[in-house]
Amino acid sequence: MINLTNIEKVYRTSSIETLALNNINLNIRKGEFVSIMGPSGCGKSTLLNIMGLLDEPSKGTVELDGQRVSTYRDKELARLRNEKIGFIFQSFHLINDLSVVDNVEIPLLYRSANGKPRQTYAKEALEKVGLSNRIKHFPKQLSGGQKQRVAIARAIVGKPEIILADEPTGNLDSAMGNEIMNILQTLNNEGATIIMVTHDENMAKRTHRLIRLFDGTQVQ
Amino acid sequence: MIRHLFKLIWNKKRAHSLLLVEIWASFLVLFGLSSLIVYNVRNYREPLGFEYQNAWAISLNSNQDTVEVAEKIERVLQQLRDQPEVEAASRMSSNFPFSQSSMNNGVEYNKKNVLADFFSTDEHFAKTMVIPVLEGRWYRSADSVGKYTPVVINRKLKEGLFGDEKPLGKVIGERFKVIGVVNTFKSKGEFMADKPALFELLDVKTRWNDLLMVRVKPGTDAVFEAKMVKAITTMVTGWSVEVDHLTDSRKTTHNMTLVPVIIFLIVSGFLLINVALGLFGVLNLSIAKRRGEIGLRRALGATGTGISEQFISEIWVLATFALLIGLLFAVQFPLMNVFDIQAGIYLTAIAISIVVIYGIVTLCALFPSRLAARIQPAVALHEE
Repeated sequence: MINLTNIEKVYRTSSIETLALNNINLNIRKGEFVSIMGPSGCGKSTLLNIMGLLDEPSKGTVELDGQRVSTYRDKELARLRNEKIGFIFQSFHLINDLSVVDNVEIPLLYRSANGKPRQTYAKEALEKVGLSNRIKHFPKQLSGGQKQRVAIARAIVGKPEIILADEPTGNLDSAMGNEIMNILQTLNNEGATIIMVTHDENMAKRTHRLIRLFDGTQVQ
Repeated sequence: MIRHLFKLIWNKKRAHSLLLVEIWASFLVLFGLSSLIVYNVRNYREPLGFEYQNAWAISLNSNQDTVEVAEKIERVLQQLRDQPEVEAASRMSSNFPFSQSSMNNGVEYNKKNVLADFFSTDEHFAKTMVIPVLEGRWYRSADSVGKYTPVVINRKLKEGLFGDEKPLGKVIGERFKVIGVVNTFKSKGEFMADKPALFELLDVKTRWNDLLMVRVKPGTDAVFEAKMVKAITTMVTGWSVEVDHLTDSRKTTHNMTLVPVIIFLIVSGFLLINVALGLFGVLNLSIAKRRGEIGLRRALGATGTGISEQFISEIWVLATFALLIGLLFAVQFPLMNVFDIQAGIYLTAIAISIVVIYGIVTLCALFPSRLAARIQPAVALHEE
C-alpha cells in the first residue's frame, strides 16, 4: 500500500543542515494499523507528512499502491490526498467559523460533490463517530474529545483507504483518548489502513505494529 | 464551493464588517464619479448643434446713451455685415453660446408644459451660427407681421411638446407659432445636456437685445478685431464694446465642467488607493492568521491554485455582499429619477462601478492569494 525506500529528509537553512530522517525503509500493507513512536523531534511527523504526500523526501522513493509519486504534479498529489488519505491532527485543525457538518464536508468540496450528497455523507460520517446531534454546533461549542471526533469524521467522509493520525489522543484525557482509539480500531476493522503517531505506549500496544524512530533513524 | 464560501464569509460577518463598509463606501463614491463621467461623456458625444469656430460675440453697452439705442444697434450690425472679413452677422439676446447667461420659461401645448431655454435672435442667426434646420425653415423679418411670433424649436422641445405629432404651424404658449425645427442647440457647450430650446424672432425696435454674433472668414486676426471695435466706438460714441471669441469662451465653459470632475476624480482616486491598500493589508494579515487552515485544506485535497482561487473568491463574495447593500442605495437614483438624469446613465455608472470594485478587490487579493498558494502544507500544519 505505502512503500518507502531509503527515505532521507534534510532541512536546510543558510547556516544549519538538519537531518530529520535517515535511510527509512518501510512497507505498510493494506488494512494494517501501525503506530510510530519516538521522542520529540525524532522525525515522526516528518515521516507522516511524507507518507501523506504533504512533504517531499530529500532522497529516496515513495510508492503509493505501487505508483512512484515523486513525479506527480501538485494537482495529482492533491487528488491522491483527497481520495486516498484521511488526516487526523493532534490539534484537530477545525475551522472555527464553520459548523461541524460544514467542517466535515470540506474534503468533498474538493471532489466537486453536490450540496445534498455532500451533506448526506457528512451526516453519515458524524453518525459513525457519535456526533449526529451536534451537526449545527461550532467547534468552539465542543469539548476536545468531540472536536477530535469531528476531525475523524472529516478524515473518513471521503472513504479513504489510508488514515494518517498525528497524535490523535495527544490533547485528550485518557478516557477521551480511549474513545478515539476505539473509533480508530473500528475503522481499521472495517478495512482502513491506519498509521498513527503517538507518545502513548498503551495506545501503541493496541496497534498491529510499532515503528520506533530515534534521531531520524528507524530503530524498531 | 460557492455556498461554502458564502457560509464562511457570512459566519465571519462581524470580523468583515469594516471591510464591507469600506467596499460599500468605495462603491458609492465610484457610482457618483461614474455617473458624473458617464453623464458628461454622453453629452459630449451628442452634437453641439452649431459651429463656434470663427464666431465672435460682440457685447454692446450703451451706458448713459438712451437715444435711439435699437436703431444704433441695427446700424452697427449693418456696418459689420458690410465688412469683407465678415461672412454673417446676427443680433440676439445676451445668452449667447458659451455665455454664463441663460433665460428659460415654460412652454405649453395641449396641457403639456416643458421648461425650455429661450433665445431671441434675428433672421440671420441660423446662418451666422451654422445651425441646420431639420424641418420647416428659420424665421424671416417678414414673419413678424403675423398674429403670432414665429419660433424655431429644437428636437428635444418638439419631442416634449408634440411627441410624434407634426409641430410645424402649431401654436404654443398662446403667442408662438412653430415654423421650424433644429436638431440640438447646446448653448453651454459639449458637456451640456441636450435641453429643450426655443428661438423667437426678436423685435428689432427693443434696445435690450444688444448682443451681436459675427462669423468672420477663417484667418481673420486681431487687427480686424481692433479695427472693428474702433469703427463701432466711432459710430456709437460713449458705448463700450467687448469681443468674446467663442473658441475661448468654450474653453472657459469646459473648464467649469471638467475642473470639478477632475477634483472628484483625484479625491476618489486617493480614497480608492487607501481602500485598496487597506484591503491588501487585511488580506495579507488574514493569510498569516490562516496558515493552519491553508495547510489543512491542502491536506484535504486543495491544490496551490485552488487555495489562491479560494482567497480571491472569498474577497469576491465579500465584495458581492457590499455591492448588494450599495445597490440598494444606487438603484434609487434611476428609480426616483434623481437630478432628472436618464436611467441609462445611472445604470451604466452602476455597471462600471461594479466592474471597477471587482477589479480592485481582485488586484488586492492577487498577491496575498499567491503567497497563500506557496505555503508549504506540512510547515503550516506544524505551526498550528
